[in-house]
This record gives sequence, structure tokens and C-alpha cells, in this order.
Amino acid sequence: MKIRFAVLVGIAIFMNVSVQTYAHHAWSAEYDANVQKELKGVVTRIEWTNPHVRFYVDVVDENGVVTNWDLELQSANTLTRNGWTRDALGVGDEVTVNAYMARDGSNRGNSRGNLRLADGRLLFAGEPE
Amino acid sequence: MKTRLAGLAVAAAAFTAGLILVSPASAARSQGRGGGGGNAGDVDAAPAPRLPDGRSDLSGLWNGGGGIGNLAPGEEMVMTPWAQEIFDYRQDPNQDAANEDPNLYCLPSGVPRMSPYPWRMIQTPTHGPETHIFIIFEGNIHSYRQIFMDGRDHPEDPDPTWYGHSIGRWEGDTLVVDTVGFNDLFWFSFQGHPHSEQLHTIERFTRTGLNTLQWDITIDDPTAYEKPFTVTSRARLMPNDDLMEYICQENNTSGGRLRGPAIGPGGE
Repeated sequence: MKIRFAVLVGIAIFMNVSVQTYAHHAWSAEYDANVQKELKGVVTRIEWTNPHVRFYVDVVDENGVVTNWDLELQSANTLTRNGWTRDALGVGDEVTVNAYMARDGSNRGNSRGNLRLADGRLLFAGEPE
Repeated sequence: MKTRLAGLAVAAAAFTAGLILVSPASAARSQGRGGGGGNAGDVDAAPAPRLPDGRSDLSGLWNGGGGIGNLAPGEEMVMTPWAQEIFDYRQDPNQDAANEDPNLYCLPSGVPRMSPYPWRMIQTPTHGPETHIFIIFEGNIHSYRQIFMDGRDHPEDPDPTWYGHSIGRWEGDTLVVDTVGFNDLFWFSFQGHPHSEQLHTIERFTRTGLNTLQWDITIDDPTAYEKPFTVTSRARLMPNDDLMEYICQENNTSGGRLRGPAIGPGGE
């Protein structure tokens, strides 16, 4: 079911001529468009909410220290209109994200572009702005 | 032949809506909530519809329009020194004015700023003398504008509110909405264009075809702008979509975290 959904998402995104961009606030005022970090870890929680969907990922560094990252997606409504469903990403999924880092130095990021799941599937999260 | 044409029409509609029919699930989504996502195409396939009594039918789910970004030809926006000072502060790279936009805290965007979410216009009643027109917003927050169509006037001293006091009238096929009684809290734009409680807006809505709603707005605020100016905008019909629930307060964690001057979502 999930695979079928991922295919659907991929197709819907490529076909979608009207992907809406998020405009609740100035994205680049909260996240630094010049500082991107690859984060790989396991999803611990998902908040399928407005004005943003958020998901949390445990990332283990080279010293074995676990950091829980708070990662932002577009709104639930925008993702739904772009073909996502609330179970597109699940707790326990291993995911790799290129996240733009929060300007306030917290463990928050904005995940634009593709989210890569462990089995190679890609979920499109929106264009970087 | 008819069947084939209908099939083609469905396929074209699905393409326009931004979805390809690859499964019954996607087909179901294209019929309802959250399914379409897309605006109607740029071409108006049919003339604007009319209500039984001949009035222009403005109802439908619309996307876009509003804002102050498109000045009408020959128009210019000139801030008063009072407004310029506020605007300069919001644009100061040494301030974090990006955090001060009420829109960021899920407060209404006022008039004429709009969010990227659809909105629905409702004329009531559709049979008999019109009493109200409502504009129902999905986002930035679930809210609505109420436009009185029963011929009343503005109150003499209205309490300032986010959407003001609106009265409407028809000039031919154009709905003219006159609004006063705004508060001065909302910003016209992400960049922080200000206004005062003296703001008076005159909006002209004309459905120029099935899919197009022309929406021209005159901003008159002598405290903030040296002279009135008019902006133009256009909303597009979203025939395959519906309003969705959007509770902005549900999980809004951005307030206070922004850095730098007030800028738009694309950094503009």
C-alpha cells in the first residue's frame, strides 16, 4: 500500500502544474537557505497538522549520541493537495533528509526537496525557495 | 462518440487538476476534498454563470487574487512619512521585524492580503432579494468576511475590526464592496506595508468568465498613503476542489523564531 502510495505521490508531483507554495511566514527568515545538513535517522513522531506538518527524527552521531530533530514540511492541506496522505511517512521509517537549519540554532530544520526512505523511495516535500 | 468525448473531458480535467488517474484512490480524491489542487486553466471554457434573477453568479471555490502587488496602470503607491517610518523599521536588517507580522501568529490577514489557500464566495439568498455575501477563507485562518447587501449604510463610528464593515452593491455585473472600520493591526504584505484605522477599501469583483474573477481594489488611507491607489488581481476557479479544515493555531511553532527584516516566503 505504501509503495503504491509513493508511486502515486511521485506521479502526482511530476504532473502537478499547480503545486502551492507555503506562505504562512517568510521561510528564509526562520531557516537559513545557505546552511543545509544531511540528516539520516529513524522517524520517532509525526504531527499531521497545520500550518505545518512536522516529523521528528532520531539521528545518531559518530560518538553514539542521539539527537532528536524537529523537521518541518508544508501544511497538511498543501501536502494533501500535492498527493500525500497522513501515512506517507511512518514512525519507525528510516529517512534521509537534506534539511535547512533553523536560524535560532535549535535542532529544527526545514526539509525541502526529497525525503529518501531506506528502501529507496522518494517523497517530494516541496521546492526549496 | 459521446462516451469518448466524455472520457477525454475527464482526462483533460484530471490533467488540469494536477492528478493523473492511476488508481481508484486517486480518482476518488480528484472528486472531492483535497483532490484537485489545481486551478482551472487559463482559458475560460464558458461565460460567467448567472443566478435565476440575472445577477452575476460569483459563487464557487476560488484561489488567488487580492494583495497589493499589482498596481493598476498609471497608479502609484506613495507612503506618508508616518507609514514610511513604520515600513523602514520592518525592513531594517538590524531588527527581527519578521517576527511581528500578525499573520505569523495565525491572526487574520485583513483586506486585501490573501493566503495561498482557496476561499469560497457565497451569495444568499440566491432566489429573492440578496441580503448577504460571505467570503469564507480556508487559510491563513478559518474565517469569513460578511458583506451586507440589503442597502444599509456603514455605522457612524464602527468598532475597528480585522475585516471591517462591508456593504455591497451591484454595478451591472460588478459587485462593488465598500469597507471601513478596519483595525490597524494587519499588514498588507509580508514586507510589512502598513495602514491606519482610516483605511477605506473599494473592491470591484467581476466574473469575466466561468473560471475567472477579476478583483480590483482601491486603497484609500490618507494617514498611510499620500493618495488613493488601485491594484488589480485575478482569482481562478478551483472546480475540482473543496475547502479543507485549516486550523492555523493547531501547531504553529514559528512565532519568535524568525530572524531579520520582514520578507516574503521566497525571500523577496
